[in-house]
Amino acid sequence: MSEKCDCGDAVDQIYQYLDAELDEGTAASIRSHLDDCPGCFDSFDFERRLKVVIRAHLSDELPEGLEAKVKDMIRHETA
Amino acid sequence: MRNHRLTRKILFVARSGPGYRPALMADQANFERDALQYSRQLYSAAMRMARNSADAEDLVQETYLKAYRAYDSFEEGTNLKAWLYRILTNTYINKYRKDSRRPSEVDLGDVEDLYLYRRLGSEDTAEASRTTEDRVLDGLVESDIKAAVEELPENFRIPVLLADLEGFSYKEIAEILDIPIGTVMSRLHRGRKAMQKRLWEFASQRGLLPEGAERP
Repeated sequence: MSEKCDCGDAVDQIYQYLDAELDEGTAASIRSHLDDCPGCFDSFDFERRLKVVIRAHLSDELPEGLEAKVKDMIRHETA
Repeated sequence: MRNHRLTRKILFVARSGPGYRPALMADQANFERDALQYSRQLYSAAMRMARNSADAEDLVQETYLKAYRAYDSFEEGTNLKAWLYRILTNTYINKYRKDSRRPSEVDLGDVEDLYLYRRLGSEDTAEASRTTEDRVLDGLVESDIKAAVEELPENFRIPVLLADLEGFSYKEIAEILDIPIGTVMSRLHRGRKAMQKRLWEFASQRGLLPEGAERP
């Protein structure tokens, strides 16, 4: 991609950017677009915050006793 | 590192009592130390796959048993976490997919990019938009997020879980699922957009959208 990127390029690559999957050159051109474009900056910021919220709410506590069951199973397998 | 491991191994051999097979004891200790640290994450992923705790517990136990049985062939330096997720995913697919010959390649309707943002960010002022965004991001509860993921068809749900719950790279996800990286990217992209559509519905049900906003 050329050094300049426009809003379309930025949105097309928003997930790759937020997932840190872009090469440094491409990421730099998106960063520089975000510096110049408050609209894209805002949308990227929203997606980044949403990603954090999603991640924070997807975990469960390990049920009591599950780890002990797994250890028992492994020891049984070893014996 | 190598020496440290060797020392541990020797200590284990020395410390294990009669009747134990020392080499296996050392493997078992290593396995417990290295693999069990992921148990909570694996269980969370199993919950989103199986969608009930009994099946999720079974999945985690079966995953660890299979992993332990194959641990002999596991090479140091291999990505243990990704390997465990590969076993979990395959176990889930083989066990719970009703007809394993016909993978559930369900498609999703087309959802526009930035679905949620565009619906929340259309207020008169940037400040008002920001307030709505904050209200929605703070107001969505755990059950909304979990439901939005769990309702995704399996071929989208698993890549989304691996990326958003676990933070695996696209390359790791491709290896875990045996699919090309391009497929990982498109499923992630479309799965996330479909989730946003569902989250917008939840936001509306919870009264988080401003008056006069477009409704689902």
